[in-house]
Amino acid sequence: MNEAEAIFLFAKIWGAIGACVALIFLTIGIERIDEDADGAYVFRPLLIPGILLIWPLVLWRWYILADGKDEWSSRYKPRRTAHHWIAFAMPVAIILVLVLGLSQRQIWPADFVPQQIAPAAQVSQ
Amino acid sequence: MSQNDKPFFVGYFPIPGQLKGFLALISVGVVLLFLLAGLVIGSTQDDPGQSGFRFDYGRQTVTGVVELTPYPILRVTEGNDLIKPGKTLMLAAAGKSGVDARAAPHEGGLVQVSGIVLQRGTIDMLQLAGGQRGLSAAEGDTPEFDTEPLGRWKLAGEICDGKCLNGAMRPGRGLAHKACAALCLINEVPPVFVSSQPVEGSDFMLITGLDGGRLPDMAYDFIGQFITLEGELERRGDILVLRMDPETLEVIDG
Repeated sequence: MNEAEAIFLFAKIWGAIGACVALIFLTIGIERIDEDADGAYVFRPLLIPGILLIWPLVLWRWYILADGKDEWSSRYKPRRTAHHWIAFAMPVAIILVLVLGLSQRQIWPADFVPQQIAPAAQVSQ
Repeated sequence: MSQNDKPFFVGYFPIPGQLKGFLALISVGVVLLFLLAGLVIGSTQDDPGQSGFRFDYGRQTVTGVVELTPYPILRVTEGNDLIKPGKTLMLAAAGKSGVDARAAPHEGGLVQVSGIVLQRGTIDMLQLAGGQRGLSAAEGDTPEFDTEPLGRWKLAGEICDGKCLNGAMRPGRGLAHKACAALCLINEVPPVFVSSQPVEGSDFMLITGLDGGRLPDMAYDFIGQFITLEGELERRGDILVLRMDPETLEVIDG
């Protein structure tokens, strides 16, 4: 299995779990953590794509909210301490990616002559 | 200088005098930097080639027989001034999507298709209009078409998506286009192999799995990279179809 096959498999498993989470959360879960969702159904299908992508976060927040452990104020705590380093790291990363990309370029195999290995079988569709 | 006297730039206030020189230097520097970066990066890119949407032709409507390779192609039976009978067109929908689901019920049948031509070299694609306007069953005799086997070949080149390669994006190939090509192929746009040199008169060929099925998942790892591979080649109308052998796929060094 190469990287592409692994990514496809991962995406399928991730999406399948996400679909299960979406089904359960949107039918029985959402009303338990958000009283405004009680009796409101039309908007729920709109949440499916998001839940498919970030279902672990949905499960985590569902658990936190349902268990009464939510600290709503922490969501507004600024996270500026990392910004300084990220501001430097991003342009450096962009330059590195460009340099690496240009240095790792392949050369178009213009000299390669197509080779017929075996003649055509006498078969026609 | 105390903390209160330190000049502070606020976009909607007049620029502090002590910062004007610095601001001018940075502004000119950033413009020059981007100009230089554009020149350097642009000069390293390959020529995207003569390709693109032919909106200047207007919408083209032709009749033909749908074949699934498994990617849908149209063998034109009744053309127009631009697309002659005998021409073979790859088919795609708008955006990053193919027309497999729309074409499958018409496999082997006569249909009328309508859309915008994308053209590159010897290979053409038609981006179908939506719904019945783009593809609908047609009445008439359905001719039978032969597939001409051309044997097993070893080729060098690159796997691309047929739509971007044909000019939906410029450049529509290469490593920088890998992610876009993967998305197009996942959404059933026909994949195309670009050969290093012409094979049976064509640089481009539709590429499928060895069994005539879809491009195997493992091949997505090599999209946009220069590779060698072997496969069974066949001619359908005026396009070639390569059934790649995944076991033979190798990345070219350098």
